[in-house]
Amino acid sequence: MTLRLFLVALACVPYVAAAQASTNVSFAKEVVGREPKSFAPMVGSWVMSSDAKDKVLFVDGRVWKRGQPAGGLADKARELYGARNEEFIESIKAFAYFPIAVYKGLDTFENGDITVRFQMLGGTLDRCAGILFNVKPNGDYLTVRYNGTEDNVVLWTFNKGVRKFVKRAPDAVPLELGTWHTLKVSVHGTALQSWLDGKPMVEYTLPEPVSGKIGVWSKTDSMIEFKDFTFTPAVK
Amino acid sequence: MRLFHVVALSALSAVSAPAQAQCTWTAKDAWVKRQAEFFDDSKHEWSNDSLRTALLEAAGLSAPLAAPVQHGVFVEGRAPAINAPAMLDRLKQLASTRGSVWPTRSVVGGAGTHAVYLLVRGDTGLARAALHRMMEAGPSESPAADVATLEDQLRLAWGRKQIYGTQKPSGADGRVILAPMEDSVHADLRREDAGLPPFRLGLCMAAKAR
Repeated sequence: MTLRLFLVALACVPYVAAAQASTNVSFAKEVVGREPKSFAPMVGSWVMSSDAKDKVLFVDGRVWKRGQPAGGLADKARELYGARNEEFIESIKAFAYFPIAVYKGLDTFENGDITVRFQMLGGTLDRCAGILFNVKPNGDYLTVRYNGTEDNVVLWTFNKGVRKFVKRAPDAVPLELGTWHTLKVSVHGTALQSWLDGKPMVEYTLPEPVSGKIGVWSKTDSMIEFKDFTFTPAVK
Repeated sequence: MRLFHVVALSALSAVSAPAQAQCTWTAKDAWVKRQAEFFDDSKHEWSNDSLRTALLEAAGLSAPLAAPVQHGVFVEGRAPAINAPAMLDRLKQLASTRGSVWPTRSVVGGAGTHAVYLLVRGDTGLARAALHRMMEAGPSESPAADVATLEDQLRLAWGRKQIYGTQKPSGADGRVILAPMEDSVHADLRREDAGLPPFRLGLCMAAKAR
């Protein structure tokens, strides 16, 4: 009887997410000074670097040039999207202003949490660190990012090469350069939440559920180190 | 991080006559070349020559500029205000008008952008608006070294720490003291990105400028 009541109650809950195991992307086998193997840098200069004892993923905006995707783009796009790679490449070229690196180890992320730790080192025009998600074969994506020149967290959409502001977190949060911080995004159905160092930031109801690849995001001349990229998929 | 401050300041206080002799740069240094490339107006065109002329006159500049234009060193810590009220009003109006064309390099040339920097840095409110416009315009339109120096100045004005190490107010006894700085470990990375001299050279130049 109790079990039946529980099952009935469960059926009445519109969306129940059960968390699966977390995956913390390890950089242990990555080689400092080379491009990462676990992420596919599609735009910008992404190399493995070190911070104290940790290996970190470094996006180096000093070598950023507007309109220039990362080297070997065609091969990386083919690896990620197979026959649909040309569509992806065309779209990526349209917004090469924004460095992105796509995580190779997960085909599709729909529900759950994505967390990354980041440290801003510099950038004269921008100091941006973001979580990339809902990356489609046509190059569309969503990102929640922190910008150290504006001290804020914002959700952006990228559709057909056009960047669109969606929502800004109400509070400005100044962060010191050279210190580590944690950005987290949680997606359940169309409900999106984000946190910076555990503090709630952007909450938003998306027009449709997400389904795509994930990764890390940056902007123009930002110099950012990333580590502890973790995702925890949830199932309906 | 704090240790670096101590080391750097010790090095500064120990700058003696022979050490100062090494406090030099050449036209081949990356940061000098970078500034020379941006400010060399013989290689670029601009669209508003009358505004450029007015800016240069208001800022007391004569073109062409000789690199390095921006040393990124302010021993007094405060930017001197230039008495050019008409031009400051014009810049304020441009800054507050949505969609207005800000005087970037393609509008007033490299020397014109440096004149803008010299004019706005004495007015915190205008400097803030100008910094935003300069950052938005991008690296080919705004002088990175001026952007960095202006950001440091404004951060200190807002009660935050500088990030490039360009602001070095004099102490009561006349010694050069580095204004509070965050993440000095990566200062040279940021200075390189901005086309500023390396941190130690900057400190040396500050000591020399006393």
